[in-house]
Amino acid sequence: MTLVHNWHLGRRMEYPYFESRPKRQFAAIFNINRCIACQTCTMACKSAWTYNKGQEHMWWNNVETKPYGGYPQSWDVKTLKLIDNGENTWYTDEKDEKLSPYGVYEGDTIFEAASKKNLNQWAVGYIPEDKEWRSPNIGEDVAKSNKSDEYSSLPEHSRWFFYIQRLCNHCTYPGCLAACPRKAIYKRKEDGIVLIDQKRCRGYRKCVEQCPYKKPMYRGLTRVSEKCIACYPRVEGKDPLTKGRPMETRCMSACVGQIRLQGFLDDNPKNPVTWLIKHDKLALPLYPQFGTEPNIYYIPPRWAPRSYLRQMFGPGVDEAIDKFMVPSRERLAVMSLFRMAQAIIFEYKIEEGPKVFETTIHGKKFEMYNDTVIGFGEDGQEIVRTTIEEPIHIRDPKHYNSI
Amino acid sequence: MNKGFSLFKVFSIPLLGAVFLSATLFAAEEPAPGVKGMNDEEFTPTKEVLEVKYVQMDKPYHMDVESLKGAFNDAKPVNITLQKQDKAFPNGGGSVTSAEVKAVHDGITVYFQITWKDPTRNARTIAVQEFRDAVALMFPLGAVEITSAEHFSPRMGDREKPTNLWHWKADWEADLLVKGELEDVEAQYPNMHDDFNFNPYSAYYHRELITSVEVLSGGRAANNLLSQPGRGRTVEDLNAEGFGTLTTQDHQDVNGCSHYEDGVWTVIMYRSLITQDPHDVQLVPGGNAFFNMAIWNGGEQDRNGQKNISTQWHPATLEKVAWQ
Repeated sequence: MTLVHNWHLGRRMEYPYFESRPKRQFAAIFNINRCIACQTCTMACKSAWTYNKGQEHMWWNNVETKPYGGYPQSWDVKTLKLIDNGENTWYTDEKDEKLSPYGVYEGDTIFEAASKKNLNQWAVGYIPEDKEWRSPNIGEDVAKSNKSDEYSSLPEHSRWFFYIQRLCNHCTYPGCLAACPRKAIYKRKEDGIVLIDQKRCRGYRKCVEQCPYKKPMYRGLTRVSEKCIACYPRVEGKDPLTKGRPMETRCMSACVGQIRLQGFLDDNPKNPVTWLIKHDKLALPLYPQFGTEPNIYYIPPRWAPRSYLRQMFGPGVDEAIDKFMVPSRERLAVMSLFRMAQAIIFEYKIEEGPKVFETTIHGKKFEMYNDTVIGFGEDGQEIVRTTIEEPIHIRDPKHYNSI
Repeated sequence: MNKGFSLFKVFSIPLLGAVFLSATLFAAEEPAPGVKGMNDEEFTPTKEVLEVKYVQMDKPYHMDVESLKGAFNDAKPVNITLQKQDKAFPNGGGSVTSAEVKAVHDGITVYFQITWKDPTRNARTIAVQEFRDAVALMFPLGAVEITSAEHFSPRMGDREKPTNLWHWKADWEADLLVKGELEDVEAQYPNMHDDFNFNPYSAYYHRELITSVEVLSGGRAANNLLSQPGRGRTVEDLNAEGFGTLTTQDHQDVNGCSHYEDGVWTVIMYRSLITQDPHDVQLVPGGNAFFNMAIWNGGEQDRNGQKNISTQWHPATLEKVAWQ
């Protein structure tokens, strides 16, 4: 084991390979507050990559309901038990803006738990059986009176739920990559996308076992495992639609609810993804305590119990929700870029506009300015320009009721 | 800024050299992470020699265990002790403790028969939680004399010390028996819904989808032998030079057959004594060889390094043919 720095945990941790960050990291932000679970993302992915035989159980992108849902069933509860993380302890008194923005995680990661338990493998994990993969949303939207303990046996939550959108996190320290005894899994230096080499894979399912998010999936037909490829041809700009510009993945660009923004985590503070994640800390990693430094970030839902959310997204939850409820001028502008373009936005600029609205939210003053936010592509060319207030178009009366 | 950079340029080469040197020294003392070192005993081959007997035999019409077993009547068995793989992550195995090996040749083909006890027959790997029973023979590549002084790792070889492996798989044997020579997912899930085959006119209506199956089956498109239908064999011919380096050969030369009864696997692997493939071990009548073996028990979720292994090389001698 070597020691690598995991900024989600605010400390160094054990990992089988040296720290080697990509030039820029594939990343995305999902605003849970806006998701309606229409599954358009899920179908966009399915119809692009997993419609083939032997992939019937595969949903590289899925949307599940919390607290009951899980694809595969109870994946998170089972993995949390393996790292003995009922406590989820964090030291939050001291923080470093860059090294430990959320504080320091005091529990074990999946790698440290395996080494403590002398498992003689790189990470703790389990292989979900076929029946656990088979019905991605079963037992989620079932009326309380019909609910059995067949799919989940959590305590009853009758007043809240939220949707969680999941795909491969293209982690900085992937559990799957660590687990593979043949190094058939690699993380690309150019964009941090994690891929399974279909030639080298021998279907050992160590990745299925040791990915805490359960996103590598075994395909019985080909006897090897497959996973989300982050639509890498699109990210590389191979799709003719964006004329060579890096393009967002199928699941991102299909999002009807406009909850998703994809880009690259880099050092540019004016990159909308980097700004929201690292500078504003509005978007948080999913189960950072697993220790893989996942790269899909979530704006946590306002209405769910904070203790549950802290377990899921770490100690940054309270600050993130406060910020989301009363957004600052810049935050509101950057959040307006969600789903405005298919080409990936690398930088934003805000042109100030007049104040249009003012109110008080939970005792805090909120002012809205009709700023214009501009998104630029990799080449510095303008991709999108939008305002905080969406323009209203009133139809000419002579066209009423006409088609 | 510029000055600092030029200073870096001046000192970077000796500096990097020192870093690499210390890294090399470190590597010489410590094995790779997750890999434990081996002791001298493991580098010494066992004393018991497997005699590969010369037998005159007519090649049977069906190359199955029933037809071939007569050839092994006079072959002397060697018992091989197996243990858990405990050196490279992930460790595992330990459920199969011994196996019996017999070998014969007819001047053209060499046959190895391996028998071991396994209470469960696992011959399918379609469901995610299912793993196959398997057995592998390993041979050092090239003319080698293995002694405790001349290290040649009995665990998949080492860098510059490659091995040739013959890997028999229970599910490959099952694949051979079905149409198209690859058990389809319907074998595991008979009533599954299938977008491609539920429509009797699907070949007409979904021609583009049907023809894209190969392309969108990653393993097949990448020519991964495990994913290919119609392999026509039950044994995979591979090379390795250390943990994690196992690689399928471009040219497959080994075949085999098996029989499972009363909790006992009998597997016969056969290949021409001599092949034209430079990556294959060449077995010469009248000469010597070394081999080692591993067994995977699918019922115990054995796969990869989770296996039952013999920790030493075993010597073998090939009897001269009658006309030599």
